[in-house]
Amino acid sequence: MDLFRKNRMFLFFGSLPAILTYVIFVIYPIFRSFGYGFYEWNGLSDPKYIGLRNFLEILQDPVFWKSFRNNILVVLVSVFGQLPIGLVLAVLLHRSFKGSGAYRSIFFIPMILSTVVVALLWSSLLNPQVGVVNHFLKRVGMGFLALNWLGDMRTAMPIVCGVIIWQFTGLYMVIFLSALQNIPKEIHEACSLDGVSERSKLIHVTLPLLWPTVMASVVLCIAGSMRSFDLVFVMTEGGPAHATELMATYMYSKTFAVYKYGYGSAISMVIFLLSFGMILAGQALMKRKQDVL
Amino acid sequence: MKRWVRVGIRHLFLFPFATLYVFPLFWMVMTSIKTNQEILFGSFAFPKQIHWQNYLEAWETANMRVYFLNSIVVTAVSILLTVLVSSLMSFILAKFRFRLRNALYSLFIIGMLVPLQSILVPLFLQMRALHLLDSRWSLILSYTAFGLPVAIFILESFVRVFPDEILEAGILDGCSPLRIFLQIILPMSRPAVASVIILSFLNNWKEFAFALIFISEETKKTLPLGLYNFLGTETNNYAGLMAALVIATVPVFIMYVFLQEQVIKGMTAGAVKG
Repeated sequence: MDLFRKNRMFLFFGSLPAILTYVIFVIYPIFRSFGYGFYEWNGLSDPKYIGLRNFLEILQDPVFWKSFRNNILVVLVSVFGQLPIGLVLAVLLHRSFKGSGAYRSIFFIPMILSTVVVALLWSSLLNPQVGVVNHFLKRVGMGFLALNWLGDMRTAMPIVCGVIIWQFTGLYMVIFLSALQNIPKEIHEACSLDGVSERSKLIHVTLPLLWPTVMASVVLCIAGSMRSFDLVFVMTEGGPAHATELMATYMYSKTFAVYKYGYGSAISMVIFLLSFGMILAGQALMKRKQDVL
Repeated sequence: MKRWVRVGIRHLFLFPFATLYVFPLFWMVMTSIKTNQEILFGSFAFPKQIHWQNYLEAWETANMRVYFLNSIVVTAVSILLTVLVSSLMSFILAKFRFRLRNALYSLFIIGMLVPLQSILVPLFLQMRALHLLDSRWSLILSYTAFGLPVAIFILESFVRVFPDEILEAGILDGCSPLRIFLQIILPMSRPAVASVIILSFLNNWKEFAFALIFISEETKKTLPLGLYNFLGTETNNYAGLMAALVIATVPVFIMYVFLQEQVIKGMTAGAVKG
């Protein structure tokens, strides 16, 4: 608005608080993080410039690659677990019936819980002494299956993945539900006039119309799952023997447990670049698929 | 197919799945009123008598009272700051024309994609340099800063569609931009502000990673951090832990029960960001 042009003072002082907080606590740290990646530093003494050596070390660090693979696994499990289940739930709950509202509320509950609560709750449920799972297995005479679920190399990671799906599926259900509700009534009416069966309507009409939402959800899901830290940190701290290590938990232990700030920052930078790269790749991939449809 | 058959099939699929969601929460509440002895002997069984003691112990002995108050203070102050700072910025971005407007807007929006973990280390160093470690301000300021992108995204798109005529009328009446903001823009954006408040409340109440690296003093810890340390001090006190989890969850749960539609709307508005 032109009338506001005169109010430079308001413009300046009005945007100052937002810009200052944002720059000091978000933008500046990102660039600082990029800088520290090129240094060897224990957080106290003077940082020593070592060029790309941190990044070369990362490339040869087996624990980093383990955490990288786990991170990719979490992304894949999230995209191919949370989204399809969320979509199925949304399709099933789209038209209301007795109890549909209750189901919706129930599936969304984990989203309002703190990840720490989710992690501690599932750790307790799976705990070998007090947990329900082993008590149940023993009760039905399958005590030989009772394991130390989070302490076992074979089961820890699958369980973490399962809990991640449990936690976030409700979000995608809700997103797909609102997308389904946005499909114009006329389309449904046209289908029933033409005698299109429910199933082919779903495949040929509803799903293509949902595609933009699916696309947005994939990006959201990648961004979200690249961030996972809390759940693994509280449930297993990356263990046993790095079986559930993620890049973020590895970065944490390198930085705050063994004080390799430079190395930790280098890992931070890798996380940052990877998640942006994956988001862009995800978007590009989905766009091409849309053209085919 | 008859309608009741279709509905029946849905229940057949949905009911077991819902059990997977309800049972853990039910178990959490049930375990929180048992004794630790009872849990060891039967993880499934109902308590012989309700054991409220766990709540009292968690609240007093295990410091939940302190964590709870800290969470309330940190959450409330950062919501207030987020709303004030972001609504002012959104008003300017939506209704003022200036050279760097688009660049500024993009800068804020990109912030929504920044993985929080990628800046934990530098932010920690930043807080240390500012002498804010072990201070509630470290949490309040970082929650506010990280809440800005989503808040600005929600508010800016809301304010942008307000007709300019209303603002012009205000200007002709001699209102200053600040008065226009306080008396016209803010009251009109109430639904969007409500979404921002709900979203920041949930995010800040649940937040763990920042608290973990900024706070080590017992008296400054928020709920998620306190819960994380619970078993460290109260070894094997699972009944107490469950009581503590219930205490931490009650506020968000109450909000969810009463404001379910708004909560879901706020969270999806924060999630689907373009």
